[in-house]
Amino acid sequence: MNIIEVLRYMGVMMELEFRRIMHDRTELYTRAIQPILWLVLYGTVMSIVRAIPTGNVSYIAYITPGILLQSTTFVSVFFGLQMVWERESGVLKKLLTTPLPRSSIVIGRSMAAGIRSLFQILLIVPVAMLLGVQFINVAFFILSVLIIFLVSGGFASLSIIIASFMKTRERFMGIGQAITMPLFFASNALYPVELMPKAIQYFAYFNPMSYAVSATRALMITGDLSTLLFDILAIMIFDIIIFIFASLAFKRIIE
Amino acid sequence: MAKTAIHAEDLVKIYANNFKALNGISLSVEDGKTFALVGPNGAGKTTLIRILTTQIRPSSGNAFVEDLNVLTQDDEIRRIISYVPQEISVWTDLSGYENLLIYAKIFGIQKEERKKRIDEVLNKMGLYSVKDEMVRYYSGGMMRRLEIACALLTKPRILFLDEPTIGLDPAARKVVWDELKSFKEEYGITIFFTTHYMDEADMYADEIALINRGELIKKGNPEELKGLIGGEIIQLELDGYDEEILYKIRELDFVNEVFREGNEIRIVTKGKGLELFDFLDFIKRLGIKIKKISLKQVSLDDVFLKYAGSSIEARGRAVEVARVRSRIRKA
Ligand SMILES: Nc1ncnc2c1ncn2[C@@H]1O[C@H](COP(=O)(O)OP(=O)(O)O)[C@@H](O)[C@H]1O
Ligand SMILES: [Mg+2]
Repeated sequence: MNIIEVLRYMGVMMELEFRRIMHDRTELYTRAIQPILWLVLYGTVMSIVRAIPTGNVSYIAYITPGILLQSTTFVSVFFGLQMVWERESGVLKKLLTTPLPRSSIVIGRSMAAGIRSLFQILLIVPVAMLLGVQFINVAFFILSVLIIFLVSGGFASLSIIIASFMKTRERFMGIGQAITMPLFFASNALYPVELMPKAIQYFAYFNPMSYAVSATRALMITGDLSTLLFDILAIMIFDIIIFIFASLAFKRIIE
Repeated sequence: MAKTAIHAEDLVKIYANNFKALNGISLSVEDGKTFALVGPNGAGKTTLIRILTTQIRPSSGNAFVEDLNVLTQDDEIRRIISYVPQEISVWTDLSGYENLLIYAKIFGIQKEERKKRIDEVLNKMGLYSVKDEMVRYYSGGMMRRLEIACALLTKPRILFLDEPTIGLDPAARKVVWDELKSFKEEYGITIFFTTHYMDEADMYADEIALINRGELIKKGNPEELKGLIGGEIIQLELDGYDEEILYKIRELDFVNEVFREGNEIRIVTKGKGLELFDFLDFIKRLGIKIKKISLKQVSLDDVFLKYAGSSIEARGRAVEVARVRSRIRKA
């Protein structure tokens, strides 16, 4: 595998996604509605109720990283699943006949999901700020955006693997929800892991979303960087494993 | 002797569901020629083209593209070919120019070279004036020309086109082929295309292979293939006839063959001219009334009918309508 080729292609796929978003932004806006409602309604109500211990940060601030990740994960999962569509379109077939290494097609496609995620962040963060959420500093914020970018790529690859097993392209939305919801609820996005039943706690430990939330919460809200390196390591391992499996699953998609 | 651009040896493809799409196909394409693979839907045309363009592997057999082996030298093959799939392969939510730009970047064409090449193919395919419009507003023919433009960006030595004019009206088909021909003349590339339009193969191909159910039925140039049938075809409907009359017709010295399709009788003549008059005399002498009669030239469809046992047109149409609809819906 030629790393430079893979990176170059990743860049092209991200540019492609960027141009498509620029031409049609409606999907971007509709996808931002749900997470914004989470912050505005659920966040505000739960802040008043004070049912969940969140230390010295407000509940809205506590859940903001998780809501961001839930929204970007959903976008990425959906983006990966669209590969089932592309199997029937000519674009994928054509890409297979170009000199590109095949793994770069999967990885490039996955990282393009990161571009969509970036736009989600741009829409949600201003709303959080209006609700009084304070971010620590710009440098930490940029680092956490990079982390979300990597996580998005991983989840897009995960859904490419799932797409490779799908025979038809029906029940698309349903499958997207069925993947994201458990990842979201069985993580530390809305409440500390310790509050969950034991069985779900174990799942949460293997849930990459937990590490993503932990890292971004540290960088955006709490500033407690004690587990940051470990979280980033966990995310990298998840990405690498998932990229390898997605590249293998890709063979099933093209036959 | 001319160089071989493509050479396939006994290709077999069995898909994962055990369906045998190709059942031992062998063929050769000479360098610089336009070669048509012709057959009805489901014949295995796309499967063959996908093997030759190194997307999928044959179950057995082997193929070579300019002496490069599809099994072991697929990377090198991908550097000298271009391919336009049957389905839409451009992004309809980008402009024509952006599509070319993205493909140019995918192919790694250097920045200085990029704009020149894009302008060149846009001009060649007659799309320069609409380059900034969204592709979803393009007509079917314009979309196809854009896809061909994308394929020509790399100046390939061999161009593979899978049903390049499917769903296009005759005028749009002609424009696509005129542009292709002028490009071919300039660069001397080899074109390998599939179609189920017999007349298209007849008009534009130097060589044709007829395929049906994964098997090669006949190959040759259009004239050779039509020569296999005979001279002309007399189509007629008679007011009552029996096997004996058909037998007598068959025995006439200028008749090559007699088919029956429903009420219609098709008589293939040997093509020495003026046979229609002899035939009319003959029928008059028998005292049978003719309900309908016409004379037509032999077409490739008649060749297909003879060797595959059924007409490609009758089978093609219904499937095609369904497919074109789904193409439009997806776009
Ligand atoms: N991926 C696949 N898996 C199983 N069967 C397939 C696959 N692709 C094509 N086929 C079958 O193989 C046959 C030949 O298909 P194809 O090569 O697409 O024909 P054509 O292009 O001539 O219409 C068809 O019957 C089709 O249903
Ligand atoms: Mg086909």
